[in-house]
Amino acid sequence: MVKVMVYPPTSMILADLVERKGHEALVVSKEVRKKVDTPGLDSPPLNMTTEDPKKGLKYAAVDVPSGVRGRMALLGPMIEEAEAAIVIKGDDCTLGCTGCARTNELARFLLKTKRIPLLELEYPEDEVEAKRFVFKIREFLEGLS
Amino acid sequence: MKSTKYVVTSQDSDVLPSDIALRIYELGRDINVKETCFGVIIDGEEEDISATVEDLRKMDETNIFIKDRGFSPGDPRRCRGHRGGGARPGFYMMEHESEILPLISRGLASEARGEDPPSGVETKRRPTLEDLEAMINEEFS
Amino acid sequence: MIRIAQLSCGPEYSGVQGELQKAADMVGAELIFPEVSLEDVMNVEERFGIEVASGDLNLAMARATRIVENPDLADAVFVATCFRCAEGAIVRSEIRKYIHENSRIPVLSYSFTERTTAETLLTRMEALVTTAKFKGLLSRERQTGLTAGIDSGSTTTKSVVMKDNEVIGTGWVPTTEVVKSAEAAYNAALESAGVKREEIQGLGTTGYGRHLVGREFGAKLIQEEITVNSKGAVFLAEAQKGEATVIDIGGMDNKAISVQDGIPGTFTMGGICAGASGRFLELTARRLGVDITELGKLALKGDYQKVPMNSYCIVFGTQSLVNSLSAGSKPEDVAMAACHSVAEQVFEQQLQEVEVKEPVIMVGGTALIEGLPRAMEQLLGMKVMVPHYAQYIGCVGASLLVSGLVED
Repeated sequence: MVKVMVYPPTSMILADLVERKGHEALVVSKEVRKKVDTPGLDSPPLNMTTEDPKKGLKYAAVDVPSGVRGRMALLGPMIEEAEAAIVIKGDDCTLGCTGCARTNELARFLLKTKRIPLLELEYPEDEVEAKRFVFKIREFLEGLS
Repeated sequence: MKSTKYVVTSQDSDVLPSDIALRIYELGRDINVKETCFGVIIDGEEEDISATVEDLRKMDETNIFIKDRGFSPGDPRRCRGHRGGGARPGFYMMEHESEILPLISRGLASEARGEDPPSGVETKRRPTLEDLEAMINEEFS
Repeated sequence: MIRIAQLSCGPEYSGVQGELQKAADMVGAELIFPEVSLEDVMNVEERFGIEVASGDLNLAMARATRIVENPDLADAVFVATCFRCAEGAIVRSEIRKYIHENSRIPVLSYSFTERTTAETLLTRMEALVTTAKFKGLLSRERQTGLTAGIDSGSTTTKSVVMKDNEVIGTGWVPTTEVVKSAEAAYNAALESAGVKREEIQGLGTTGYGRHLVGREFGAKLIQEEITVNSKGAVFLAEAQKGEATVIDIGGMDNKAISVQDGIPGTFTMGGICAGASGRFLELTARRLGVDITELGKLALKGDYQKVPMNSYCIVFGTQSLVNSLSAGSKPEDVAMAACHSVAEQVFEQQLQEVEVKEPVIMVGGTALIEGLPRAMEQLLGMKVMVPHYAQYIGCVGASLLVSGLVED
């Protein structure tokens, strides 16, 4: 079983396909879960505190906006943990954890330069593309183990 | 450890959220179920949830999709009734991907049937100069 | 309860959403997030005019269009994006303009960092809520009866007594101990007006020490500076109807307020940078060996371009002035360079965040340093008006507004 980071890290489609093939999908909701279940933290809604943008300094300098660094505090450890990655390119529906384009650029860059098996593709727009999409992902995932 | 997951059905599926809920009750595990417009949210201990997910997939292999959720159902921090309205960001992503699910389902079905991936030119290409000239002549002549 | 629509990108991930919430709670407001559909977000360009790469900013713009289409959804709008984000700054500014131009809903624009606290936001939120809540009181144009105002500022404490729409007494002292200084300023105002304290029908307080002073003196109105300064400024400048811009360069912070019919529309409150405050000018005056009241007149004779200023900072900027003096620069040029430096910083950092419409009214003690409004005129390319009693603007606004409460 390989730890496969999916991007957007909120993607149900990617996470589902990864887990169907018996791998572990690294998704941001698991990171959020750790936050919201941490007793003693009281910073609703996500329980992210002002410490998070500071943790994000590991990935981006202090002159990078706090929202990027805070998001990187969630995504950075996932990128470090990732053994492979599947990344959707050109999606224009990104909100919340992926609501900041600069964060998405940085995260994708870090995944690409990590030199792990990486599959980049776009969401399908018709049935033919969908068949290729599913096939490529299967082929990629089967090649991992 | 607690785990919460969405169980989402593609629009192509004949399985209803109520069918999924019924199946979960039949399985008899200690799991909370909440029916929603796109499927159900299930919440319980991690091992129960994992086992249940495997059972639920079997209801409609190519049309049921599973996603993790960071918050337990009804968590006031994420519930719109408790924080001034407005959908949580994850909802938009789910809605966005739900629109693509029927295509993914067909892709999965094709794979299940053991079909080869479609061949042919995969990417869109620019017209050649000759093509363009022909198009212009056709349009403006 | 006042509903403040939050249109933002980043506060949850910066760990400051709780602080925004806390500030709203403190002023008795509720933060709301207007419902929009995925389609609204995806088609935001059609509705708002632009789509950007960051989805959360598109969501904020989609919510703005929803508010404009349904103005009953919110009483006020708070637009917030991360400090140092260019994309966020552009969208924040465009949302502010869009709401301002297409509705009568007051807007507050703010860029936050992870260090933003509820306390930083409090005065701004208070002003936003007051503007939304007390439109009737704020539309008051005449002072009636015998009322007084105390402005307990960070550097100076001012007081006025007003009777039948006229200022009849003023008092001014440097702020030391908040209550003692207020006592002294108030007494001076009462004395110059020739009235006794018990005759005053209503007292209004404003400024940093407003709560403490207000409690101590039994004030009928305790109000933040943005509201009272707008009111005082348009009253003294006789610009109560239509548009106006109020600029107040204070001892600890600066305010730029775009006013419509005497009511603040959009406003910003600048952070604590001494280089963009009256203190910088005080320091310059001291270095030049002139009284602060003479600095402005001296500056009017000078040319700022003859003195190279390498920094806006009170430390390094002052160093530039000192270096120039030792290199033979004339005191008047140095005085004007200091005025220009302060004006330019306010122009660059704050006036870009509001709609600058004439008349431009400069208020506060610094407005009396003639070089400063002159420098602002040069930067804006507009006439800048300094009304009589400019340094008492907060007290006049408080005194005028409290007369409305006395009548009721």
